[in-house]
Amino acid sequence: MNNFMEFKDKRVLVTGGTRGLGRAIAVNFAREGAWVAVNYSSDDSSALDTESELKRISPQSLTIKADVSSRTAVEKMINDVLSTWEYVDILVNNAGIIRDKMLMFLNENDWDRVLDVNLKGTYLCSKAVIKPMIARKSGRIINMTSPSALSGRISQTNYAASKGGVISFTKALSREIARLGITVNAVCPGVIKTNMTEDLDEKTKNDFLKMIPMGRFGDPDDVARAVLFLASKKARYITGQVLVVDGGLT
Amino acid sequence: MRELVSNSEALCEFLKNMIVDTLKLEDVTIDDIGNDTPLFREGLGLDSLDALELVVAIEKIFNVIIEDENVGKKAFASIKALADFIQEEYRQED
Repeated sequence: MNNFMEFKDKRVLVTGGTRGLGRAIAVNFAREGAWVAVNYSSDDSSALDTESELKRISPQSLTIKADVSSRTAVEKMINDVLSTWEYVDILVNNAGIIRDKMLMFLNENDWDRVLDVNLKGTYLCSKAVIKPMIARKSGRIINMTSPSALSGRISQTNYAASKGGVISFTKALSREIARLGITVNAVCPGVIKTNMTEDLDEKTKNDFLKMIPMGRFGDPDDVARAVLFLASKKARYITGQVLVVDGGLT
Repeated sequence: MRELVSNSEALCEFLKNMIVDTLKLEDVTIDDIGNDTPLFREGLGLDSLDALELVVAIEKIFNVIIEDENVGKKAFASIKALADFIQEEYRQED
């Protein structure tokens, strides 16, 4: 662990924080001294695994199962975090799902579910943490978006719409609360090495690699460092922005 | 807190001090704020961001909820309106 811990005793909530990018973000914050709460929706096994890793680094860490698309679940989650920690310094809205289908076959449930988790979840979690942040006149909200929002992608009309909405939400909210010491930004990860990319067939992997000027997939830590930067004091004059971490893809 | 809320004059004075402190209004004293002075746009000239800070402060201090923008607009029309709102919330609890 770093001797100089940039986020010592900062309280961080990462939604979808028990796997993949979310987990990398959570662990990076914990290594920098933060108290980290991770939320997840259903994978109890990954949650237990992440919880024990986080507790080793950050004894104050919390693991909370909650569906971010449900207002009552989000309010309970935030109330549980606030009653244990008193406040939240940094919210990372990372929870997200995909249900890729060509529009002709995209049913209403596929549309609603992706919008509910990815966009409504971002709204619900942000709304729930904002009052304590306003009271302290301090806070960071970092939302995860996607190259799909910037350039579109076949079979992702729902996902692209949700992540495009996240960008617009980020910009609007950043203007609402900039004067109150709270920054709101988005991070746009490109193609990152996770379980999902490991499962791709060789041809698809190679097709992706050809589109990336750097010629490699990103590491989860590449994205985590961008999130930590936006959460840090170094980024105190940055708000309403989208930081793209994609090796030149877009 | 209940004792303060039940005394309209004391409550109004408290609210004036709270607004000046919360918003760090350097050029404003509580004598400049009449009970009927409009708080937003004209009068004290507060804006929507000031409203956010005041909502958070009022909710925390008095343990009330201002859920709706319309409720907020009526409550924050003046110091007197705000005092009336808080007193009404406490009456409903009883």
